[in-house]
Amino acid sequence: MVDSASNTENLIQIEIFPRRLLSPETAQELLVELSKIEGITRAFVQGPRLPVTVPYGPATGQDVNHKFSDTISIGETDINLAVIVGRIRLEVLNSEIRDNIREICERILPMGLEFREGLFLQNKQTVSDYAKRGPGADPTVLGLADPKGKVGNRICTLNPAE
Amino acid sequence: MAYEAQYYPGATSVAENRRKHMSGNVEKLREVSDDDLTLVLGHRAPGSDYPSTHPPLAEMGEPECSVREMVEPTPGAKAGDRVRYVQFVDSMYNAPSTPYFRSYAAAINYRGVDPGTLSGRQVVEARERDMEEIAKFQLETEMTCPALASLRGATVHGHSLRLPEDGIMFDMLDRCRLENGVVIMHKDQVGRAIDKKVDFGKAMSEDEAAKRTTIYRVDNVAFRDDAEVIEWVHTVFEKRTAYGFKPE
Repeated sequence: MVDSASNTENLIQIEIFPRRLLSPETAQELLVELSKIEGITRAFVQGPRLPVTVPYGPATGQDVNHKFSDTISIGETDINLAVIVGRIRLEVLNSEIRDNIREICERILPMGLEFREGLFLQNKQTVSDYAKRGPGADPTVLGLADPKGKVGNRICTLNPAE
Repeated sequence: MAYEAQYYPGATSVAENRRKHMSGNVEKLREVSDDDLTLVLGHRAPGSDYPSTHPPLAEMGEPECSVREMVEPTPGAKAGDRVRYVQFVDSMYNAPSTPYFRSYAAAINYRGVDPGTLSGRQVVEARERDMEEIAKFQLETEMTCPALASLRGATVHGHSLRLPEDGIMFDMLDRCRLENGVVIMHKDQVGRAIDKKVDFGKAMSEDEAAKRTTIYRVDNVAFRDDAEVIEWVHTVFEKRTAYGFKPE
């Protein structure tokens, strides 16, 4: 329980919280723009889940085919959206990058947004992380997916060479 | 002098709308056909007879009872219909109605209903044809905006979430969609696909929703702006506190 995530001492964490839940097109536009910025170490996309099949009730098991469930492309990476994008949390290297991101968000999200700085991604392993991933886990993926989650690995690496 | 029922205090637009919903004196904004309603409720096939749970009361030979003689049964009870439900979800972003006011509307204006009021949804149980009458009334009038309120029998999640970009309240099962400027429902209230797209007409604009809502919000009409409501809420709280205070 002593491993901290990537060197977080000088890193800044920010949260982008749009006034509306984002459609896949807007989410793709925003994420593509963000992916072009150098200096974002970790990104976390959160929102209400979009189920593939109806989870309960008389229609249990039927396909949902949700209008917001889409595959978005960022560079050469295809991401199948399992949520409607409600907030994006980022870890960035310095305040200059933060200001740059804010400018992009204000341009792409005309509905308005809240832009906050704080601690949003975990820095230390929890007991669940430790039980699932063991002592030698990669600190950069900490807090990016629920260690107890049943939906498989939802972590995408955009620039694997790095 | 004839007595006129008083429903809710206050001088703001929200208080006025609350009075309208409770009294049932609401403006009709759209038409929903009987077949479309049956389709989205999903309890029986459109055009089919109402299945019954007992023979019509006239054939049953009821026992002699002064209360039964005094109270006229509702059409559904008379015919022996099954008890079925309709459930609405209203967004917190200035939806016209709220669970409490849907329940008031049903309980004050209709007989033989069992309204259930929850934080994010409101269900009415009644004999099938009585329930359809209430559902139709609520769907066709200003009590419902097709974008900010929807019929959801199961998986009701969404009333407290931010609206998606298209302004249609988030629905995990994607029952409602915006198509060519109108809101359509292409699944029934529990999420089963239906054969037809049921048209509920245009969504209210943001300004219209703010005008017709029964929700006090600080970014529209704040609760604290309505002095008469505050006075009555204080009175009710004071009285029930005094009533509940029983020093031994």
